[in-house]
Amino acid sequence: MTQRRVAITGLGLVSPFGGNLADFFARLLTGESAVRFLQTNDLPRPLNMPFVDCAGFDAEATLGRPLAGTLGRFAQLGVAAAFSAWDDAGLPRKPQNDERDDWGVAWGSALGGVLAFDKGYRDLWQNGRERLSPLSIVLGMNNAANAQISIQLGLGGISTCHSVACSSSAIAIGEAFRRVRDGQAPVMLAGGSEAPQAYAVARAWEALRVMASADEQRAARCCRPFAAGRSGMVLGEGGAALVLEDWDHAIARGASIHGELVGYGTTCDHSHLVRPAVAGQVRAIRAALADGQLAPADIDYINAHGTATPEGDPVEIAACREVFGNVGSGPAVSATKSMHGHLLGAAGALEAIITVLALGGKVIPPTAHLDPLDPACAGVDHVTTARHGQPLRAALSSSFAFGGSNAVLAFRAVTS
Amino acid sequence: MDSLNLIREFLDGRLGIPPQQVVPDAALGTLGVDSLMMLELVFECEDRFGVTLDKRLNSPNTVGELVALVDRLRSEQN
Repeated sequence: MTQRRVAITGLGLVSPFGGNLADFFARLLTGESAVRFLQTNDLPRPLNMPFVDCAGFDAEATLGRPLAGTLGRFAQLGVAAAFSAWDDAGLPRKPQNDERDDWGVAWGSALGGVLAFDKGYRDLWQNGRERLSPLSIVLGMNNAANAQISIQLGLGGISTCHSVACSSSAIAIGEAFRRVRDGQAPVMLAGGSEAPQAYAVARAWEALRVMASADEQRAARCCRPFAAGRSGMVLGEGGAALVLEDWDHAIARGASIHGELVGYGTTCDHSHLVRPAVAGQVRAIRAALADGQLAPADIDYINAHGTATPEGDPVEIAACREVFGNVGSGPAVSATKSMHGHLLGAAGALEAIITVLALGGKVIPPTAHLDPLDPACAGVDHVTTARHGQPLRAALSSSFAFGGSNAVLAFRAVTS
Repeated sequence: MDSLNLIREFLDGRLGIPPQQVVPDAALGTLGVDSLMMLELVFECEDRFGVTLDKRLNSPNTVGELVALVDRLRSEQN
């Protein structure tokens, strides 16, 4: 089978900063954090924790009231991100004919529509209600985002939601990539969205003792991947989407190409549900490189998984060192979760976008608040302030999820 | 609130349908009420007026048919 080249022709997100994609990336380059202290007024148990939300996102204004009203928060964020990527790709919202019968969607979300059922439990157990709205099922089903994206954009091919914890949308992108590369679909919309601010979800994460602890004053600087004394991750909500397109199809319609997706590797540690393993991550990185016909020396930047947990970060750095060698020979590394938080199932898509923008802009975003470095995370070229004017050729975006499910995407810059 | 105004308020709030279009002769399907939104509208009527629409009833086709159905149940209840 002849393999097609896969162009990235559309990028879109819902930004926690409230602005557009360019604004989001510009803020990351300055090291600005979107983490704030979330305080809800839920009775009897409010949420109080560092969090990244999209407070400026107005679903009704963005999607229209009828559409927004039939979507849960994660699907609203997802459809908005998908629309944004679609518009960026220069594709009309409505198909002209049946040309989109084999175009598809591969989405990712770890929790999907959990907030709909969170509301249901509150209504039934707290608020004395006897029954729930009939819309609850469509608000809560985990394929709500991809299904509505297919409906809205008239995409008649595969429409699926991958739920693989924190690798969900990286795997969605990878599987979509293979469909385009194999010639099964000329266009795939891939991405992910997450809305994890459900009370029991947040408290369950806290119980694992992997959440950064901070008060209102310290929240913005509390997520510190690879830093000494880091205390863990910060949950975030959001949505991110990419349009993957057969290269020739993109050229034929005169589309702008942001970057090229060239490789995808996915593995399982097959050893432990929450303790990551170097060997599994190394296999995923090497699989992505081999898939993209890349040598380790071709990689100039890695957008790391980097969640800022004490246990996870050193394992990831050890895997990088095993593949790329020690600092001096290896690629630059940064973990942008320090600024946009951990979007769980949407993390891989958001970080894929950042990686593509880095390649296209020849600029590397930093790991914020990385001072001082944890010696256990030393040995790679950590980026602590943005590096501009970098001749970047290729880059990786890594996602290493609970369950030992690893996914690595490999991108090449477009050379003109 | 009477039944017609509840339906107007619901359709304005959920689907952005101008209340002046929600007249007794208007077909619910033409207004944009699909089967899912019909379930939600029935749920709203039941919730607000404390009535129960029998699941075996044929789904009303027009705004007027829904108003008549809800009004009948409300009067039976009283």
